[in-house]
Amino acid sequence: MAVAFIFIAIQFVQPARNTNGQVLATDITKVVSVPDTAQAILKNACYDCHSNNTNYPFYAYIQPIGWLLNSHIQAGKKQLNFSEFGALTKRRQESKLKSIASQIKNEVMPLPSYTMLHKNAVLSKADKDLIINWANATKDDLSK
Amino acid sequence: MKKVIVIFNFSILTMLSLTACNNGGNTKAVETDKPKTVIKAVNVPVQTSTASISEIVKYYLALKNALTADKTNEAAAAGKALEATIKSFNKTALTDAQKKVFADVEDDAREHAEHIGSNGGNIEHQREHFDTLSKDIYSLVKVFGAGQTLYQDFCPMYNDSKGATWLSETKDINNPYFGKKMSTCGSMKEELK
Repeated sequence: MAVAFIFIAIQFVQPARNTNGQVLATDITKVVSVPDTAQAILKNACYDCHSNNTNYPFYAYIQPIGWLLNSHIQAGKKQLNFSEFGALTKRRQESKLKSIASQIKNEVMPLPSYTMLHKNAVLSKADKDLIINWANATKDDLSK
Repeated sequence: MKKVIVIFNFSILTMLSLTACNNGGNTKAVETDKPKTVIKAVNVPVQTSTASISEIVKYYLALKNALTADKTNEAAAAGKALEATIKSFNKTALTDAQKKVFADVEDDAREHAEHIGSNGGNIEHQREHFDTLSKDIYSLVKVFGAGQTLYQDFCPMYNDSKGATWLSETKDINNPYFGKKMSTCGSMKEELK
């Protein structure tokens, strides 16, 4: 009974939504060239935790799951935020692009715990190659 | 969307008190996937008031030597010390040129050091960050001077044969990217006084 009560009570503590809805001037698409094909993959597989716009699943509204998701999103955005990519120095933009390529290549990202629940975020070999090549080419462009 | 939230919350309130117990399992599964907490370094070295990056160079070289010896935990410790040193670096006595370069390098180098510090046990990932970090430190040394003779060395094989550089205090090649496997692989590119 006490457990049920606590469970109901915590439903009222909803973390702030990570949904800005706008494309900021610092958005990655505003500062480097992102082809539609790459953009679609990023949106689908990365933006939930690496942008200011999360596409929330229904269970995000159930606590404490919502809190856990929120902590993932905050941690993800701290490392890389596509919505604020333009605010980084060129040096850091290059570093981030390098890390994007290596994280995808080494299959560290997207997190297995994420793709387990988001089957459409599972990247095919072609998807991975596309992102890796785009990240590497964009990084080389920046360092010119 | 808001409407949906509201409706959903209501339905939760009425319904979930009954299913609360069943949800326990689910919650647990999610919990195990929580990202690891990054433990921050606490030993902040004492900063001298002169514009010297000798402390930064010292920990960079300690990191390099740890990677050369395939010692991932030592590399992590050096990474943490380096991160703390960059964070506490006294920027007041800098020339304009130094200020500009330091501002450009600062966040990038600190972030690489932080990742190296939190990835003890994953030496390949530490080396990835060491690659870019080496470029950052090179930029610093170019405008600050290192307070000692350094050599910029080049490993042609790293990064899928795109190559990578590092800085060393010794003329002899000691490759930090492949460690003991290929310790003498590489060549000296530049001597930095």
